[in-house]
Amino acid sequence: MTFSSSFLAVLVYGSLGWCTFTALGLGGLLIRDIRRGEIW
Amino acid sequence: MSVEQALLPPWLGWTLLLGFSVLWIGLGAYWGRRNKSFEDHALAGRNIGLALGSATAAATWITSNTTMLAPQMALQLGVWGMLAYSTASLGLFLFAPMATRIRQLMPTGYTSGDFFRLRYGRVAWGIFLAFTLFYSLTWLVSMAMAGGILLNTLSGIPYGWGMSVILAVCVAYTMRGGLGAVIGTDFIQSLIIIIGIVVVGIAVLAHVGVDEIHANLSRERPELLNVLFPAALMAIFNNLLFGLGEVFHNNVWWSRAFAFREGLAGKAFALGGLIWFPIPFAAGFIALASGALDVPVPSADMVGPLVVAKVLGIGGAVGIFVIVFCSLASSIDSLLAATSDLLTEDVYRRLLRPSASPETLKATAQWITLGLGLFTWVVCLPRVGTLASVLFFAGPLVGAMIWPIVTGLYWRRASTTGAVGGMLLGAGVGLVSYFAIGFYVASLVATAVSMVWVLACALLSRSRFDWSQLREAS
Repeated sequence: MTFSSSFLAVLVYGSLGWCTFTALGLGGLLIRDIRRGEIW
Repeated sequence: MSVEQALLPPWLGWTLLLGFSVLWIGLGAYWGRRNKSFEDHALAGRNIGLALGSATAAATWITSNTTMLAPQMALQLGVWGMLAYSTASLGLFLFAPMATRIRQLMPTGYTSGDFFRLRYGRVAWGIFLAFTLFYSLTWLVSMAMAGGILLNTLSGIPYGWGMSVILAVCVAYTMRGGLGAVIGTDFIQSLIIIIGIVVVGIAVLAHVGVDEIHANLSRERPELLNVLFPAALMAIFNNLLFGLGEVFHNNVWWSRAFAFREGLAGKAFALGGLIWFPIPFAAGFIALASGALDVPVPSADMVGPLVVAKVLGIGGAVGIFVIVFCSLASSIDSLLAATSDLLTEDVYRRLLRPSASPETLKATAQWITLGLGLFTWVVCLPRVGTLASVLFFAGPLVGAMIWPIVTGLYWRRASTTGAVGGMLLGAGVGLVSYFAIGFYVASLVATAVSMVWVLACALLSRSRFDWSQLREAS
């Protein structure tokens, strides 16, 4: 039994999409914290 | 590696190294101006917000191991290798509720050592300090050594120079800026790493599709796609427990729990886990593409840089150099800060100078950071290549500390006998299995033995711990 091509595709594209989303999310969180004066 | 074999010319490597060195030291000096006391220096004033908190949790866990070892594990253990590596994120997820609990129980605590001393007494505290210092110093030395080797491999910069520069830069900005500088630079480093990995991943996919990678693996390396790959399945448990033990006990993570603003610690660690979770897949699949891209891989630990250099040329080599440099710096600075705080709080303040002023403690922490840097430099200089095995050797030690910490935080019946016996027995039997069987079962055995002892002692114990005793940490 082997991992299928579609499963590999989900892992690869999913992880790249997830990373993109988290990078954008981190940037958004930083802007929110700066606006609120809560960065540190 | 010779200059001819390196992916970047040395002058470009030096330029990147010096550029980032100036940036990190400048930021450390700028952010360090706010620090007046030990609390400011060691815990960034206990006021870190969610953005910086989440990023630092993820960045500290993205060591050079993640960016370099994830492709290596994918190349050797296939799809399961990436999945096994990603289980390390469970350490961050499970530490999230613990961090909330730690802040509630110890609102003025400084280190994980404070917890052991107040919860279990001085004997357990001493064992904990011995275990955690051995582990932290081994990790620090292995990171600095990896830095010298990787910079040499990527750009031909001589090992001694590369290792010395990266260590000196981290020592300089950690000394000057304390945990605030470490966390601030972690944010920038985490963004660089994540964006870099995405760019590299897209570039690889532009050259070869997932179907093509899968077809090549099916022909050439079918075991990498095997759902029942035994070695990979064992690696999952070892990696998982090693990760849990590391996050649960190490002051790198406890100092962050104390530094985050009240009410944010749990959220920040959970978000850090979410940020970290896809990294082993995104960085690891690059190695699986090496066959389809026809990239010769003379050494498994260089597969990531070689594939990137193949698809992106000099730009890719620059990218991988920056990613590796940021990964190394984000871990070395955290280890320097957390270990220095542990020595300052648990050894200098609690054992030698209980009446030391906050300013004196801050200065002491800075000198200890410098001392740790010098110690690491001296150990790393001969370039002994066997430290990875020493780090695996520490696996049973950290595995044996999981149960004393978890039960100590949540269960009033957890006892000193359980904690001391659990750590000593777990580590002892784990080390025996390390030599008798192999590294891949050592953490598992240590954790299991420790668990049995700790739970048995707690069930038989008549004592009930008073949680208010943990509030004496200040």
